[in-house]
Amino acid sequence: MGQYRWESDLAKAPVIETKDLTIRFGGNVAVNTVNLQFEEYSLKSIIGPNGAGKTTLFNLISGQYKPTSGQVIFDGQDITGLDPATRTKLGIGRSFQLTNIFSTLSVLENVRLALQSKADVGMVFWRHWRSYFKLEDQAYELLKQVLLEDRWADEANTLTHGEKRKLEIAILLGLDPKVLLLDEPTAGMSIEEVPAILKIIQNIKAARKRTILLVEHKFDMIMNVSDSIAVLKDGRLICDDVPEAVSCNPEVMEAYLGGGMKYG
Amino acid sequence: MTTEMTPVQRERFQAQQAFFKRPSFLIQVALVIGLILVPLVPSFRVMDMMAKIMIFSIVVASYDLILGYTGLLSFAHAMFFGIGAYSMALLCYHLGSPQWHHLILATIVALAMSVVLALILAFFSLRTKAIFFAMLSLALADFFHILGRSWRNLTLGEDGVTFSLPGILNVQGQGFSLFGLNISPRTMTYYLVLVVSVALFIFLVRFVGSPVGRVLQAIRDNEQRSTALGFKTFPHQIYSIVFGSSISSMGGILFALWLRYVDPESVLGVFSMVDYLLMVIIGGLGTMYGSIIGAAFFITVQTWLPDLLRGIAANFPDYEIIQRMADRWMAYFGVMFVVVILVFPKGIVGTVQKIIRRRRMASFK
Repeated sequence: MGQYRWESDLAKAPVIETKDLTIRFGGNVAVNTVNLQFEEYSLKSIIGPNGAGKTTLFNLISGQYKPTSGQVIFDGQDITGLDPATRTKLGIGRSFQLTNIFSTLSVLENVRLALQSKADVGMVFWRHWRSYFKLEDQAYELLKQVLLEDRWADEANTLTHGEKRKLEIAILLGLDPKVLLLDEPTAGMSIEEVPAILKIIQNIKAARKRTILLVEHKFDMIMNVSDSIAVLKDGRLICDDVPEAVSCNPEVMEAYLGGGMKYG
Repeated sequence: MTTEMTPVQRERFQAQQAFFKRPSFLIQVALVIGLILVPLVPSFRVMDMMAKIMIFSIVVASYDLILGYTGLLSFAHAMFFGIGAYSMALLCYHLGSPQWHHLILATIVALAMSVVLALILAFFSLRTKAIFFAMLSLALADFFHILGRSWRNLTLGEDGVTFSLPGILNVQGQGFSLFGLNISPRTMTYYLVLVVSVALFIFLVRFVGSPVGRVLQAIRDNEQRSTALGFKTFPHQIYSIVFGSSISSMGGILFALWLRYVDPESVLGVFSMVDYLLMVIIGGLGTMYGSIIGAAFFITVQTWLPDLLRGIAANFPDYEIIQRMADRWMAYFGVMFVVVILVFPKGIVGTVQKIIRRRRMASFK
């Protein structure tokens, strides 16, 4: 689509920037001198074959891993040394490739906790959690946004896989992050469930309040929603461009789409 | 409400409206009134049992905070209990004739020691893996147990410490008369235990119901997700361990006040951890109120079951086998424990709460 391309022409400072980001696990260089810029309110997808280092790059940005060398810059500030919790407070919210929710808590409580974190309630132990009733109401509104309001009272482990992914997005929205890191939001979903998630992502993008990073396997899906696509192979960035250019790039065809495989 | 309420608002509205009419609230009020009236029962045994149930409810509830709400397995809970009991006993014993300020001093010493030890425990073990916390707490608890047995100059070793209490708590004293009822020093101690344990229990319930309590449960459930939400694991866990352990030492103080005697085996013994675990599991992990049920069940059975069995056996004096079976009351307790867990997989309170919650929430869909 790319209807928001004009945004990047304004030469704004990128929200997130990686500078020569490298991480080694023993002899294996999982991410190798990756330089990427993520522009404000854009949706950039990261693709690449299995083991290309997509999720590792995510973990470096969100702070689960510390890089061997290189930097992560967020809003002009070097955040390379910060832990994941601090980065979340700064405004980087992430989802996980494997569903990651509080399974024994209620659906509403999952989202409410995110809002509590954002509201900076702090280490309060003399008030009852229910006295922060605004958080509950906001949580319900977010569940409505991801079309999950009917299940608010249920325990989260009773949700279907697709519903759990929706819940994850609601949790992320509860953090109200500047940057959303979505690690394969449609992984393991049945084909009927994918459009709903896609719709939610497009709605977030259309609201133009957040920068979105997306790791995805489904190439046709990325082509439709992304402003730009970065391609990783063996830990190296081999291409970073608008979707049309990426799909024509011979190196990408070779690395990712090659071997007689057609996208779609 | 001008606009239509969302289901969440309706549920909250109903919960707030009905608070004082809720069965759980009425049961609690009835329980406190019942405990106040216990000294009217002309049996010391009943009063002794109720006092112990109150004390262990607090200890088990604070253990539930650490184990059930925070998900950390601590073997040092009995140690903190023992620290409380011993600071009371030793200060009253060594500082000459007992004074009221000894009691206050003992409370301060017990609290300070618990906080410092809990912090040491947390800082040395929790930065890595939770299993090290269990290991280190076991080592520390065993160390204090040995200290209690071997440091004879201070603790009098395995003989234990017998001490007396000041003023109206002193059993040698006469007590006083109120509305024609004679209030003995024993009864006064009972009421002291009652007031302190109710206060501590309310504090614990408030603690787990606070925003911090909710985060503790979130961390227990999924630590990775919690940090990704911006909650720091370590400070929250420290919070819980420090509060839980301090309250356990308060329980120890009450225990010492009640018995006026402490010995290493009964207050510092690592084996009493098994009792705490049984109590917390019978009541239900992560329920708070379960600790009352667990402690009541355990202590009632412990007090009456041996008598009951002996009573039964007395009717069959000719049968050797029945005499022997009657001696092994722990075996029957084990069977009862297994039955309780089979019927209530999440503990008595945990299972009942789950059913009630599911029914209630179904009406707000």
